[in-house]
Amino acid sequence: MQIPQDLIDTAKLKLKSVQSEAEFFQLRSQYLGKKSFVISSFAELKSLDPDSKIAAAKELNILKSKLNHLFEVALEGIQAKTDVSLLDTTLPADPYFVGAEHPIAEISQRVINYFSPLNYQVFSGNEIETDFFNFEALNFPANHPARQMHDTFYLNAGKKSEYLLRTHTSNSQIHAMLREPLPLYMLSPGRVYRCDSDTTHLPMFTQIEGLVVDEDVNFGDLKGIIINFLEYFFNEKMEVRFRPSYFPFTEPSAEVDIKFGDNGWLEVLGCGMVHPNVLKGCNIDTKKYRGFAFGMGIERLAMLYYGVDDIRDFYSSNLDFLNQFSS
Amino acid sequence: MKIQYSFLKDYLSTDLSQQKLADVFTKVGFECESDGPIIDFDITPNRGDVLSLRGLQREFQAQQSKVFKDKSHYKTLTFKKDKTIINKIDKSGCGNYQLMLVRGLHSVKVLDKKKRNFLSAAGVPLIHPLVDLGNYVMLEMGTPMHVFDSDHLELPLNILFPISKKTPFQAIGGDTKIVEPSSLTIQDQKGIQAIAGIIGGHETSVSNSTKSIAVEAAFFNPDKIANQARKYGLATDASHRFERGVDPELQQQALARFLFLLKGIAQYDSIGCYKGSSVKLKPKAISLSVERFNYFSGLSLSTKKIKLFLETLGFTSMPTKTAHLKFQVPSHRFDMELEEDLYEEILRCYGYDNIPINPPKSGPVVKVTDHSVSAKLKGGLVFGGFQELMHMPFVSTKTFYALNSNEWIPAELSNPINENEPLMRGSLFGSLFSAINLNVKKGYSAIKFFEHGNVFRKIKNGFAQESHISGLIYFHESQKTWSDKSFQYDLFSLKAEVLKLLETLKVKSIQLVPNASATIFTANAMDILVGKNKIGMLGEINPTSTNKLFKNPAFGFEIYPEKISTKSSALKLIPVSKFPSSSRDLNILINQSYSYAEIETVLLHRKIKFLHSLALANTFEGNGIPDGSISMTLRFMFQSPSKSLQESEINESMDHAFSLLNKALKAKIRS
Repeated sequence: MQIPQDLIDTAKLKLKSVQSEAEFFQLRSQYLGKKSFVISSFAELKSLDPDSKIAAAKELNILKSKLNHLFEVALEGIQAKTDVSLLDTTLPADPYFVGAEHPIAEISQRVINYFSPLNYQVFSGNEIETDFFNFEALNFPANHPARQMHDTFYLNAGKKSEYLLRTHTSNSQIHAMLREPLPLYMLSPGRVYRCDSDTTHLPMFTQIEGLVVDEDVNFGDLKGIIINFLEYFFNEKMEVRFRPSYFPFTEPSAEVDIKFGDNGWLEVLGCGMVHPNVLKGCNIDTKKYRGFAFGMGIERLAMLYYGVDDIRDFYSSNLDFLNQFSS
Repeated sequence: MKIQYSFLKDYLSTDLSQQKLADVFTKVGFECESDGPIIDFDITPNRGDVLSLRGLQREFQAQQSKVFKDKSHYKTLTFKKDKTIINKIDKSGCGNYQLMLVRGLHSVKVLDKKKRNFLSAAGVPLIHPLVDLGNYVMLEMGTPMHVFDSDHLELPLNILFPISKKTPFQAIGGDTKIVEPSSLTIQDQKGIQAIAGIIGGHETSVSNSTKSIAVEAAFFNPDKIANQARKYGLATDASHRFERGVDPELQQQALARFLFLLKGIAQYDSIGCYKGSSVKLKPKAISLSVERFNYFSGLSLSTKKIKLFLETLGFTSMPTKTAHLKFQVPSHRFDMELEEDLYEEILRCYGYDNIPINPPKSGPVVKVTDHSVSAKLKGGLVFGGFQELMHMPFVSTKTFYALNSNEWIPAELSNPINENEPLMRGSLFGSLFSAINLNVKKGYSAIKFFEHGNVFRKIKNGFAQESHISGLIYFHESQKTWSDKSFQYDLFSLKAEVLKLLETLKVKSIQLVPNASATIFTANAMDILVGKNKIGMLGEINPTSTNKLFKNPAFGFEIYPEKISTKSSALKLIPVSKFPSSSRDLNILINQSYSYAEIETVLLHRKIKFLHSLALANTFEGNGIPDGSISMTLRFMFQSPSKSLQESEINESMDHAFSLLNKALKAKIRS
């Protein structure tokens, strides 16, 4: 009896192109049905001599078993495919909510993300503050014209209230210097208030304060971290300008400008070396320690970063505006 | 301070373009903005000495390493003391008072066009040629002047502080001001004729019929002038300068300059120059260590270079016996006190941009702060589909009490920006409610908002500030999919949301305890406790607190991140069982007055052998259930750490569980 050697391979090939169970059973019957080569060959065994009969029967049984296995496995695959009815998977998903941080919070976090790996601790600060922490300890003498730059909200608290809404996050410097051990590397984000409202100013806005007090820091360190931070923040090499300015709590003081597109120089933050009066007021040995501080307005950074024109949009709660930041 | 470019360019004798000139001043600390032909200088409050052409010239020349030379023309005048002209001077308020009397004025002409344009560009209104001249000299020299019509003065003058009582005074322009005792005043024999350094009187103001004038040039102590102008609702060019400090040695020169220019616009019969007893201010001297400066700045400047920089700015190098340098501070520099102040001057001359840049340094290893808890909670909410919002914290009295317990005393502003919102918020929910209303109107029907911010209230010794994270979930329309699947958000969905958030953040041992008396929620609200520590609340929003801003039920929560401990306790690992678990259901009937929490307490606090966990599989009320009772299917899961459990062992534990429920809560088996 002549048994074709490629029977299994041909069956495998044909099974690959089977698309339905009907096709499958048709093919199976060709290979394992009554009229198939294997089954009909068993009937022909009778005509063989005993030795050939044993050898051929063995060979046929192996072949039959291999085919059976092949078809069983193939059937499982076909059934698995055809059991699932085909869906239009392009139909919409069930309703879901897309959450998002507020763009101002996102920008604050972007700032924190730069300083955190440099081990700057993040502290929250008091929004209702005393005159001492907001002004006096920061070297703003009473009646000094510098106080007039800060249109201050005051709180009703009895006859001589010295409580106010902080006008800057710099109050956190004083709390941290009085409380934390040195060296101190800190960041303090938060809301600040000025009694002023127009198209470019809001009575509440967000600042982030940075402060370093350490043994060997100088103006070059301050410049280094500010330039590096700005390049991280805007994700490009920046042209940065430091120009002298005045803050009562730093000496020397500087405003930092960046060259931004076609807008020329734009002011982005204020900074300086911590004024010795401030350090001394916090019982810090000025012979041993020096410090630098910087403060930035987050709304301003956000407006530059996102290209927002109207500061009031950030506080409008308008999803048409806010949803654009979640995509 | 606004200056015409063309005028300034001539004054400084420079050919620099407007932009380049503005850049020179900006780089040394006087930020400039150009508005057409005008340069607007932003002069910081410490640099009153630069509020004049002379001040700008000094800075400009220093940048060119040139020592300042006075360019204004005048003839030096002689001033004499005369008690019939200037009698008493309060020395604490007035360090220097000079008066020039000009009599028999006639043929007075207006100032030349160039000066008039200069004044107009500076925002100084043209009033009368004699007043305009005083204003011009103020802008040129930096010394404010006041011109009295001396025919209306009854000399001598007294400069008095404090005055005995509040006194009415008619100021230039006709407004009556009530002069405070704390104000420094110029008085003649009739009474107050000027509030020193701020404004003159109506009666003695110059008019077209003026024939004689008394021109005042003085140095008033900045401490006595500061904040005075604001008290009267006035902000004059003079007060702006006096508050910041006016050079106390410049008054006689300024009057000489006035007279020099007066000759160009008027004729007069006679003049007399008088001085009051003046206080000679002792020049300040500041030492400087070159070594310390270089350490501070990261530079290595020579002594010669440092001296050059400071001398061009008008500082005088003084002899010293120590290794340090010593400089006398020029009389116009009120901002100079410390060595560090000199550092800034040197660095300004050197150029901030030329200071070398060091790579960023990092600090010592940090500890976890409450900020990281808030950040994690916010991150969790964002992934939970919440949109973060931010709002102004000012609220009306009505809103405050609608959202806060009556026991809360609000933090009230004494100068609110909007008088209808004088209070600081005591809850974040008010603005979130308005935000829902706004966005529903815009067509949004399913909303999840949260806000992170502080709330405030008054307490016994000041004010309290608490950090809150508050969230709201609102469905304006029921949520159905295209396949008609519907989603019903309810109190238990909210409970799941909050528990998922807190448990994911590893807040341990959370308990939700009913609180029926919360202001903002309905009676089905819950306190979120960790031990006895309340870390938040959740519940359905009470419609009465929303001011009808939306129609459907809203669900809300607030979490207090500062109350969540940042200390992580040491992890205790329990060996994981390799043996299979078995679950069994128990159907019980129980009186409705018992809460599920009580069932949990009975079962979980007693040690039922092999009990691994407990869940509520189903509840049922109605047909076949006696009134006042509820049927519950409790699902127990049993597992042993050391063996496969036998049926008999599980049955024994189930019997134990039921007997506990029966004994404590009178539960019955539901057949």
